[in-house]
Amino acid sequence: MMREKRLPRLIVQVVCFASASALLWPVAPWKGAPKFVLQASPFAAICSGIALRAISAGVGIGLALAAAAIVKRRWFCRYACPTGLLLEGFASIGFQKSSWWRRCPPLGRYAALVTLAGAAIGYPVLLWMDPVSIFSSALALRSADGTIAGILAGLGLGILVLLNLTSGQIWCSRICPLGGTQDLLASAGSLWTSKSAQVATAAPVKAGFLARRSFLVGAAGIGIGFWGERVGAARGDHAPLRPPGAVDEKRFAGLCLRCGNCVRACPSKIIHADTGWAGVAGLLAPTIRYGKKYCLEDCRACTQVCPSGALREMNLEQKRRYVIGEALVDGSQCLVPLGRKDCDACVRSCPFDAVHIHWDEERYVAYPVVSTEKCNGCGACEVVCPTEGFKAIRVWKRID
Amino acid sequence: MSKELSRRELMRSLAAGGLVVAGTMTPLSSMLAAQDEQGAVLGPQPPAPPVARVPAKIVGGKVIQPQRELKILKKTGVLVVGGGPAGTAAALSARRLGVEVTIVERYGYFGGLATGGLVLAIFPIYDRNGKQVILGVGEEMMKRLDKLKFGIIERNKGRENIYPTVDAEAFKYVLVDMVLESGMTAYLDCWGVDAILDNQGAVRGAVFESKSGRQAILADIVVDASGDGDIYAAAGAAFVKVKDNIGLDSRIGNLDIEDLVVATESGNQRKMEFKSGARDKVQGGRPTRGSPVTSLEGFVGSPTPAPHVNWMNMKGPVADGLDVAELSMLEMKHRKALWANLERARNKPGAEEAFLLETAPQMGVRLTRLLGGTKVLTLQEAKSGAKFQDVIGYGGTYGMAPEFQIPYGCLVPSKLENLLAAGRCVSSEFQLADTLRLIPICWVTGQAAGVAAALCIQDKCKPREVNVGKLQNILRQQGAYLG
Repeated sequence: MMREKRLPRLIVQVVCFASASALLWPVAPWKGAPKFVLQASPFAAICSGIALRAISAGVGIGLALAAAAIVKRRWFCRYACPTGLLLEGFASIGFQKSSWWRRCPPLGRYAALVTLAGAAIGYPVLLWMDPVSIFSSALALRSADGTIAGILAGLGLGILVLLNLTSGQIWCSRICPLGGTQDLLASAGSLWTSKSAQVATAAPVKAGFLARRSFLVGAAGIGIGFWGERVGAARGDHAPLRPPGAVDEKRFAGLCLRCGNCVRACPSKIIHADTGWAGVAGLLAPTIRYGKKYCLEDCRACTQVCPSGALREMNLEQKRRYVIGEALVDGSQCLVPLGRKDCDACVRSCPFDAVHIHWDEERYVAYPVVSTEKCNGCGACEVVCPTEGFKAIRVWKRID
Repeated sequence: MSKELSRRELMRSLAAGGLVVAGTMTPLSSMLAAQDEQGAVLGPQPPAPPVARVPAKIVGGKVIQPQRELKILKKTGVLVVGGGPAGTAAALSARRLGVEVTIVERYGYFGGLATGGLVLAIFPIYDRNGKQVILGVGEEMMKRLDKLKFGIIERNKGRENIYPTVDAEAFKYVLVDMVLESGMTAYLDCWGVDAILDNQGAVRGAVFESKSGRQAILADIVVDASGDGDIYAAAGAAFVKVKDNIGLDSRIGNLDIEDLVVATESGNQRKMEFKSGARDKVQGGRPTRGSPVTSLEGFVGSPTPAPHVNWMNMKGPVADGLDVAELSMLEMKHRKALWANLERARNKPGAEEAFLLETAPQMGVRLTRLLGGTKVLTLQEAKSGAKFQDVIGYGGTYGMAPEFQIPYGCLVPSKLENLLAAGRCVSSEFQLADTLRLIPICWVTGQAAGVAAALCIQDKCKPREVNVGKLQNILRQQGAYLG
């Protein structure tokens, strides 16, 4: 009986896996494709929807899929989840004998509850545990430009694969918050049906126990949310630059799924995974580091692919006005005041005419001056600055 | 009367004493000089003036320069006014086609701002991939500098985005060498002050002021490489007057820098490190908004090929490079500031014993006049990599702008005949002129103007009628890069 059902399920799984990969890569000309794949995850859809107090079309689809989980227990895991299929494959070649994970408590449900509670205060704390975005983040490997970037991109999926090789299906059945969400939905559904059928015998006791536990877990979620906003958030001089459209830094680290969509979408390849040095809450979240290219004035690709709303969708005009940071000049490095060269590369490169060379009659020296009101931190000046060592003009997080 | 007498006495004492000093470039009749009893040298006595002296007169409160005939110093094929990077490139490449060439330079050396202005960086010469796209006569000059000890550093480092720096004196030497070898006629310390036009309004030469007075040089074709477009402006060509920053470059000597000269195939490559940290202090940390210069510590500039010597660039304020009062005040202020900077710089470790080796003889006037040419090259064209059928060379990549083509039309005045512009005063938008003015691009426009001028003579045509295909072929034969 099982054998007969396995094959069609496998076909659906493979089709879902292949289409998810193709849409995330992205092969499709549809710019928003990667976003919708991730919004299909009920966990991500519910939590980001609550956190943002907004429901977009994509989130609506995610909610519909969530509703289906009430009827059909864990159908997403069994048919749609690309990570699920991958891990099933690895579990079959790993130490299948190990079964200690069966004794592990259902951490996934708690993870889902913690996140849901955090989402209520706008900080969905464990959103990054969403398995679809972990799958997606590994695809950022294709645009990784170095060992560290590669390690950071492959980190999530790598851990899951290792976990599966050593401990069987522990992730899918016990830890995954998406699985946990479906379990919660399913038990909420069964609670509803059993109540209406008037056959609940031990239910009140169980429900009380669940309520108590849920309350504690929820409180923990809110607590972690507050911690993330206050303590874990990056701040100060070395706060990382976020891609255009990013919500306030306090909430960004919580809202961001770490799916890597923006990293892959960026034609300039300036979006990288944050190492978390400036604030551990931001680990693996996208940060901008200018290299050979800058944030192009006629591009808004990253704002079009964010599934969670951590990067708000913006039109070109809004995106141009979005302040990534501000360019500041280091007088101890700049060739102009030092008299090292007759340079005005920053002035020439600025797409917004925000830099000019000022002659300071009093000090009898010239230097570049950035008009803060015109600068959006696109980094064109930083890219072309010819100074060795570190750049004389660099984009810094704006602190006002 | 008394003059005649002393002259006779002199001739007598000359014959007796036999103290004979030979002069050069002066008429034979007055080539002798003698020492009188007091020890002072008496120069050759002027012959009776060939044309009557007609000094300016005050007429009704106005100063009037009466009409007068000018002595013709020379009749030549190509007359190049200005001996800077553009002028020398033009004269050398025209001379190579066998035409008669005369070059006239305002200062006592060639090289203009590249030597006398102490603008020692050869920038920009590479494309985005680091390939050198400015070659031709400029590259020949650099190859000669390669062979000289302390002549040029940082050659062929396009991939690392590092540009060559030359030694001003070595460059002056190389240019004199090339001018003398070429067999052209050169007049130094000679200031081009006016254009000579024929009845049709075509340029036929230029008027010069020098120690020999006001003289004319007649030519079949004139190349205006004066930088300021003095000749085409005088001739009535269309131009745009602009203002730009004017600074004064300088060299600081006796810096405590470790020298490591490594001779390589491509010339001298030098690595310079300050022995005891005379490098400008690195602030690090977040800079503040507004002025990035918080304290004036004294600046020491960039290394040059010469050991223990740095050069300092100065941006200076925006000023009118054609206003003598403004220029004079600026130059005095600049010199004072350079000394003040030196005294501050001496507080730095490694710069305690530094001295001001030299302030540039010429101020760094960037832009004054831009020709109204048959083609006005725009910044947009340069940025978008516009291709021109009459391309005569390339400008290198600068900042985010890619390497770009320069068309022949930038050198040809829209209406004026028999004149070609070269160097910083060619025809372009102000925003782009700020790139076209740079030393190696002046080589490019100079070389093209020189070859075109020679072709005008050989093919008996006007500059605007030059066979562009032929011009491009000759430029390629001369080693220029046209893509």
